[in-house]
Amino acid sequence: MEALLAFVIGLLTACGVYLALRGRTFPVVLGLTFISYAVNLFLFSMGRLSIGQPPVISVSANAYADPVPQALVLTAIVIGFAMTAFVIVLALKARADLGNDHVDGQN
Amino acid sequence: MNLFFAVLTPFLGAVLVAWASRFGRSHAAWAAGGVALTALAWLSPLLSQPFAGTTVVQRLEWMPSVGLDLVFRLDGLGLLFAGLILGIGLLVILYARYYLSERDSMGRLYAYLLLFMGSMLGVVLSENLIQLLIFWELTSLSSFLLIAYWREREMARMGARMALAITGAGGLALLGGILLLGEITGSYELSVILASGDLIRGHSLYLPTLILVLLGAFTKSAQFPFHFWLPHAMAAPTPVSAYLHSATMVKAGVFLLARLFPALSGTPEWSWLVGGAGLCTLLLGAVVALFKHDLKGLLAYSTISHLGLITLLFGIATPMAVVAGVFHIINHAIFKASLFMAAGIIDHETGTRDMRRMQGLWQFMPFTATLAMVAAASMAGVPLFNGFLSKEMLFVEASEMASQQSFGWLLPVTVTVAGIFAVAYSLRFIHDVFFGGKPLELPRTPHEPPRWMKVPVEVLVLLCLVVGLFPAQTVAPLLAVAAASTLQTALPEYNLAIWHGFNPALWMSVTALVGGVLLYLVRRPFSLLHDRFEGQLDARRLYNALLQGLMVIARRITALLDVGSLQRMVFVFIGFALLLGWMGWSGDRSVLTGSRPLLPVDAMSLLVTAVLTVISVAVVILHRQRFTALVLVGFVGLVVSLIFVKFSAPDLALTQLLVEVVTVVLLLLALYFLPQHSPVESHPLRRSRDGLLALLVGGGVGALAWAVLTRPHSSIGDFFLANSVSGGGGSNVVNVILVDFRGFDTLGEITVLALAGLAVYALLEKLHISGPSQNADGRDWNWDLHPVIMASFTRLLLPLALLVSVFILLRGHNLPGGGFIAGLVTAVALIMQYLANGVAWTHSRLSANMHPVVGVGLLIATLTGLGSFVFGYPFLTSTFGHMKWPLVGDFELASAMAFDLGVYLVVVGATLLILIHLGLMHGKEPVRGKGGH
Amino acid sequence: MLTVALSIAFVLVGAAVVLSAWRLLRGPSAPDRILALDTLYINAIALLVLLGIHLGSALYFEAALLIAMMGFVGTVALCKYLLRGDIIE
Repeated sequence: MEALLAFVIGLLTACGVYLALRGRTFPVVLGLTFISYAVNLFLFSMGRLSIGQPPVISVSANAYADPVPQALVLTAIVIGFAMTAFVIVLALKARADLGNDHVDGQN
Repeated sequence: MNLFFAVLTPFLGAVLVAWASRFGRSHAAWAAGGVALTALAWLSPLLSQPFAGTTVVQRLEWMPSVGLDLVFRLDGLGLLFAGLILGIGLLVILYARYYLSERDSMGRLYAYLLLFMGSMLGVVLSENLIQLLIFWELTSLSSFLLIAYWREREMARMGARMALAITGAGGLALLGGILLLGEITGSYELSVILASGDLIRGHSLYLPTLILVLLGAFTKSAQFPFHFWLPHAMAAPTPVSAYLHSATMVKAGVFLLARLFPALSGTPEWSWLVGGAGLCTLLLGAVVALFKHDLKGLLAYSTISHLGLITLLFGIATPMAVVAGVFHIINHAIFKASLFMAAGIIDHETGTRDMRRMQGLWQFMPFTATLAMVAAASMAGVPLFNGFLSKEMLFVEASEMASQQSFGWLLPVTVTVAGIFAVAYSLRFIHDVFFGGKPLELPRTPHEPPRWMKVPVEVLVLLCLVVGLFPAQTVAPLLAVAAASTLQTALPEYNLAIWHGFNPALWMSVTALVGGVLLYLVRRPFSLLHDRFEGQLDARRLYNALLQGLMVIARRITALLDVGSLQRMVFVFIGFALLLGWMGWSGDRSVLTGSRPLLPVDAMSLLVTAVLTVISVAVVILHRQRFTALVLVGFVGLVVSLIFVKFSAPDLALTQLLVEVVTVVLLLLALYFLPQHSPVESHPLRRSRDGLLALLVGGGVGALAWAVLTRPHSSIGDFFLANSVSGGGGSNVVNVILVDFRGFDTLGEITVLALAGLAVYALLEKLHISGPSQNADGRDWNWDLHPVIMASFTRLLLPLALLVSVFILLRGHNLPGGGFIAGLVTAVALIMQYLANGVAWTHSRLSANMHPVVGVGLLIATLTGLGSFVFGYPFLTSTFGHMKWPLVGDFELASAMAFDLGVYLVVVGATLLILIHLGLMHGKEPVRGKGGH
Repeated sequence: MLTVALSIAFVLVGAAVVLSAWRLLRGPSAPDRILALDTLYINAIALLVLLGIHLGSALYFEAALLIAMMGFVGTVALCKYLLRGDIIE
């Protein structure tokens, strides 16, 4: 299972990096979305993997997943959205002011 | 605590005054005066203690865990300066009320002045040197604001920048010096440092320490060669010059010399550096002052000269010289502040400061002229005025030094020459302005200023006279305690009297007076010579060249690094990160796979991974068709949240799902205004290069993840798991961490979220772009704005979704959920109404203004944290209890839930703020599309 | 008995995922893709329920509930875009 998750993290990173290197704003934003998926999963995986052991205290459970990376990633996801919003609005602003959507403001 | 409040009062008062100025100019003045008096009142119960020989030290615990306290100290020297700051401050406040014209903002000047007053009080009343430095930097900053008060004037901005650059650089050096002092003595508190003078002087780091501290003092007190900022600071309003640039701020440097005198003085290095700088400054300032045509320029250079005089006295470093230095601090503050005020009156009444244009003002303002003459006589060192007393003490010290050094005779000679120039420029200030013919084409006809504008000058001039005539009965006790606390030893025997008999000092005084008058009479050719070469021998040129050079270097470095293309920058950045990662790994050569037992792979996970791989690669291949890519990304997000579910993170799965939906909405909103396709631009070679980099980075990150995942694990999570129920009152540990254990972090995070929302709003405010009137295939948009089935369904869904969100919010402490998730559910439910029913329908039922929601959310979260203060616990301590609700049963109520409510409101507010305003961006335009039948 | 039923269900849902993903990939038109994504959301619900049964935990059912709701909103937004371009008007 660990190998699968490591592969998925690598895959998402690779897709994200390739898209982030494109010249138009929209693919770059998609690339950043991919990278944030990968980063969130990566951070999450710092707590190692466990199946069926959510960190919700109950009498029947005998082990729990590490809650710290989960708390960290939870806010990271929400803030990631805010940052995506900020970047996309910047892209719109650039499009309005410069007349095109190239990341360097020139065709 | 009194000292702390005395320092705090002006800072709080600055806000009060800025507010009070809305009600009128006099209100602002009254408020400012009241603030200064309040600060004085805080000090008054302690005033008797320094006179009784005790040093008041008051400590306020701030961060005891790292040994940082707010410590204040009141001794003779601090008392003297606090008196100058508050006393002259009050007079300046009165004066400024009449000085400023109707157009100038009263509140701003007073607010800045009070900021400065608080900072300066902090400097002179600090026991801890680090704390002193903080206030020291605050004086630089507030002085920057004050010099640039008339911000529309180029000269004011330039002068303010220069003053900030020089004094700021000096502050940096001082920080270094203070850190070294702390390193040598093991403490930053003055009582320790002042007592370990021998240790400091004997230490190998003494010389660097001394130089760094002196750099701080010299830049602040405008000592040669850092003197040039002071004349440029004269672009400030005159009350500011009177306050900062004669009486207080520039004295901070000499205050520092006096403060650290017991710790640093007594070595040849001290004498040469301090005495040398003082002597140069004394002479240079006096000479240049004579030839300045600007009234305030003359006073500025005279101030430089007098500061040099004080520095020189501290450099001579005999106990008697120190007494003289402290005495001259008092005298100079009094006469120079009054002279600046007089210059301000003249400027105010005539509209010019150029001495070549004004003569014979005596006939217009005899009273002001009399006041100015007394103050100028004091500045020149004429007997019977206060300036004479301390200058005479300097002459005594200088003549006594003459016999002790081989070139010792230079000292009395130079001092006498400076004295001659001082007399000459004082005479010029009086004669050129008030006598000598009729004024030449003044901008307005002068007359005596308003009654209350003269009062501050009268008070100060009266002090000049009283101190000059009866020194022993007036200033002596204050001088004694101030000098004693400077020396930290017993005072030498001295006698404050006007007549000391026929000694060398008397002859030096006589020479200065006679020579000064003669010099004034024959000054014309020298003056012409000065005018010709003015500006050529100026340290400012060096400063400007230095600044230019710095900018050129900065631009070159930027040009070297920034190629102006994001693509290339990102490529280099990622490539470099890859290189660093590779170097780190190859340097270590540890095994990639750790020892942790692996989880078995099941078929379903394999299948989903395979599908995810195909879809992700498809996104990359199809990314030019933007809408398709977006739909595919929706699937990737879904799989990511399934991964969270699979690996025991239900909270994350819920959050990811919701964020996925709002992200899709966000990107769709933006995509409408962007091209639907990306053109093929980059060369195939470049694409394969990017692809290779992407594969390498992906492989590297995957390998890193693998290496971590297979290694054994220990975490602080166990603590949270063990204490969640007992300490936080909730069984959902992730939520308890967010709202309780690490609540402060969460407060920061929702603040970021709120800021991002506001920033997006601000960016969108002036943005107008129009979307296409046809879709990507060239067909018109559908005419049906809100298909009725969709609208009906979403309306049905709204109460259900809101119910779910309330449920998730309430139970979040114990089961997956909480403020973040509930907030997103509510936001999505509301967004759905905008989607299906339109803006008009939704706005007629719900206020669109989300700013208050964000604000209230932040307020609730912060207040919950502050609430724990009320019960005497640290910030954000939570409490909880159980209660029985009808129907619901046992229900746990934790104070952290209020915090979670704050989180909820911020998330709802920020998300809607972003999405709705993005959607409303073109709301004012008519409905597009030809299909609007 | 339950294990056998679960296995069969997993195989069937897996097949559904693969087929929907194929539609998502191939299109050919945008509505096809939106429908495929919507179906995939429903497949995810099925997967979660099966996983919940498999692990004997009810925690996953709420996630399933939210997926159902979010899948709907996502589909509405995507469809609105196809219809009108401007989704909030």
